[in-house]
Amino acid sequence: MTKTLLSPAYIMIIGLLGAPIIIGLFGILFPAFGYFPALGAQNWTLHYWQQLFSAPGLLSSVLLSVFTGVMVTIMSVWLSISLVAITYQTQWYKRLQSLLSPILSVPHASIAIGLLFLLSPSGWLLRIISPELTGFLRPPNWITVQDPFGLTLTLALIIKETPYLLFVVAAAIYQLKPSQTLETCQSLGYSRLTTWRKILLPQLYPLIRLPILIVLSFSLTVVDMALIIGPNTPTTFAVLLLSWFNDSDLSYRYVASAGAIMLVLLIAGIIFVWELTRFLLQKMARRERINGKRSGIGDLLLLIGALGGAASFVISFLSLVILPIWAIAKRWRFPDALPSQVSFSNIAQAWPVLSSTTIQTLIIAITSTLIALVVSIFILELLRSNAKTFAANKRFFGNFYSQKPLLFLMYLPILLPQIGFLFGIQVLLISFDANGRYSSVIAMHLLYVLPYVYLTLSAPYQSYNQAYLLEANRLNHKPAINFITIKLAMLKASLCTAFAIGFSVSMAQYLPTLIAGEGRITTLTTEAVTLATSGDRKKVGVFALVQIIFPILVFFAAHTIPIHWTSWRLKLKSILRGQFANRT
Amino acid sequence: MLIVRNFSLHSQSKCLIDSLSFEVDKGEILTIMGPSGIGKSSLLAYISGTIASDLSAVGDILLNDTTLTSVVPHRRGIGLMQQTPLLFPHMTIAENLLFAVPNLYENKTRHQKVINAIRDLELQGQENKLPDTLSGGQQARVALLRTLLAEPKCLLIDEPFSKLDATLRTTTREFVKEKIKQANIPTIVVTHDPDDASAMGGSIVHL
Repeated sequence: MTKTLLSPAYIMIIGLLGAPIIIGLFGILFPAFGYFPALGAQNWTLHYWQQLFSAPGLLSSVLLSVFTGVMVTIMSVWLSISLVAITYQTQWYKRLQSLLSPILSVPHASIAIGLLFLLSPSGWLLRIISPELTGFLRPPNWITVQDPFGLTLTLALIIKETPYLLFVVAAAIYQLKPSQTLETCQSLGYSRLTTWRKILLPQLYPLIRLPILIVLSFSLTVVDMALIIGPNTPTTFAVLLLSWFNDSDLSYRYVASAGAIMLVLLIAGIIFVWELTRFLLQKMARRERINGKRSGIGDLLLLIGALGGAASFVISFLSLVILPIWAIAKRWRFPDALPSQVSFSNIAQAWPVLSSTTIQTLIIAITSTLIALVVSIFILELLRSNAKTFAANKRFFGNFYSQKPLLFLMYLPILLPQIGFLFGIQVLLISFDANGRYSSVIAMHLLYVLPYVYLTLSAPYQSYNQAYLLEANRLNHKPAINFITIKLAMLKASLCTAFAIGFSVSMAQYLPTLIAGEGRITTLTTEAVTLATSGDRKKVGVFALVQIIFPILVFFAAHTIPIHWTSWRLKLKSILRGQFANRT
Repeated sequence: MLIVRNFSLHSQSKCLIDSLSFEVDKGEILTIMGPSGIGKSSLLAYISGTIASDLSAVGDILLNDTTLTSVVPHRRGIGLMQQTPLLFPHMTIAENLLFAVPNLYENKTRHQKVINAIRDLELQGQENKLPDTLSGGQQARVALLRTLLAEPKCLLIDEPFSKLDATLRTTTREFVKEKIKQANIPTIVVTHDPDDASAMGGSIVHL
């Protein structure tokens, strides 16, 4: 067989995916060492690193971020795995799955706002139990949300990340065929939970490693949630960096760039420690696994985890329910459990800003998701038609020439902290004067929408039985039309799901809009985050409510429409033209 | 007339078929017999232009004196009927059939052809249902008529009866034979079942 090289289209895709990553990395790497031609700085220096390390409050900010990130990851892994282990093979497992998509689709910012409304000293939780249980007639002087240890931020992140990991675990567990394992082990006398702990979880970890690392990196670097519900003094490291990047003293930009690089190195270090710890724990657990005990106290860990997981679901549900209540509240005095007067005046007042922001949000979300769908389909078709080349290349050149680099480049933006990477890209946007344009905002959103759309679409797309399309092309000599009317039409359920995922990812973006939009283009998320710190709960409630309505609606539509599409189409057809049978 | 000359098939390093040649005339049925895995289906895929990428095949194919090897699959005028009927699940039976009728006819003629086919299939009243409401045997028949409605210049049939039970097999076989006779085109049937091979009534090539 001849040695084949990759097609130009493939190399072009690699270039398109790689370019923003290289630009983003060099866009913070150069300024960190004093090189920033756009600001007229061309002297290489280590000065800004010294300034970074001597910045007041740096250590506490970093420690706070590390604590939050690691705690969130440990907790959400524990809770999600426990929930799956406990509910698997029960009717709760299915119920849990159906609860997932609304929580998954809701932007992080709205969960944080809901939690703020729920847990603050004047929040819903205290209102419900006051004054009967507490005797409070006015909000107590407690520090609950925005606590200095970032505990509420941690809670908010756990609530959002547990459903995500649950979704990932449920998808991965499917490959392990747990029913067979459970049957085998139970016939050996092992309890269900011990089987999970000793047999299934060790097999599961490699399958969910990447999503776990994504959660870790995300929790360490999240900005929007930290702004809403995180501590103020000190703030998390990511929020500190944001304030430096936005400082009116432009020299802080260099320090922020150095800080962003430190954050990347920090994440790499934590991932290393995380994996090392897991490796050691696994070594230690090896002996425990074969000690022959059929059940043990370890099982209790899973039980507690599942209870915690259930609690996190309840809290997230409550924080979503509170949003519409505040949105229509007119009078709501403190100890009352519900508003004494409701009206739509909040919505009417917010309408001028709300409507234009909603339209901007929808334009950005729909455009970026549609582009991501087209690009994903293009890449998947490219991979299919190059399958032979890939197989040959893998044999001769190893993985480097396979499709691995492509996937790596596509997923890298999710793993890199937005706070540094996106400001690196901003350098380029500024020098081309492309800031504050729709195209720039959409391009920034694509960095995050594309990987999720591709991830959702690739498995069903690649398992499509291509024989249908080939048969169609033999019957009717129009391959381009058949591709749409046969292949894509048969894949419409997966396409709709991928659209819903991409749409909700775009809706949730905060930093990409903030950085590329420069305040000229705002979305519901950027508005809600700005308002959340203002304290006007009614207005915030309205924005947060609209912010959750669209993703939930789109998810519902993506689930319903493909199922009924064909029967609706046939009904419409029979109404329009009369039954085909009538003319026989 | 379909002519295949010196067809050879290799997978990785193994030679599956070596230098196979045959001719099939209009209205004739040629049956190719052989155990599974020998490359029978790959031969049909090679003729129709959709051979799997991990196989390498060589050989000349002439259909009515034109070389096919350089023609793109959808322009070859080959009808292929496979084990799975591959009826499009999101289209009704009538739409599936209509999909295949060439659009060089007027719309009225196209519909008439579909109506005739449905009568032929004895599916009157069910034409606006989705194909998954049909039994396996009915699906196979619809698939055959759909293939023939596209007016191929040559028909390839790949183990069409292997999923059917014994009685259904006989009746479906007769139905297929009759339709091939009407269409009057060269036909290749691939099977591993000696009963199928002898029932088709044409010459038999053993691999």
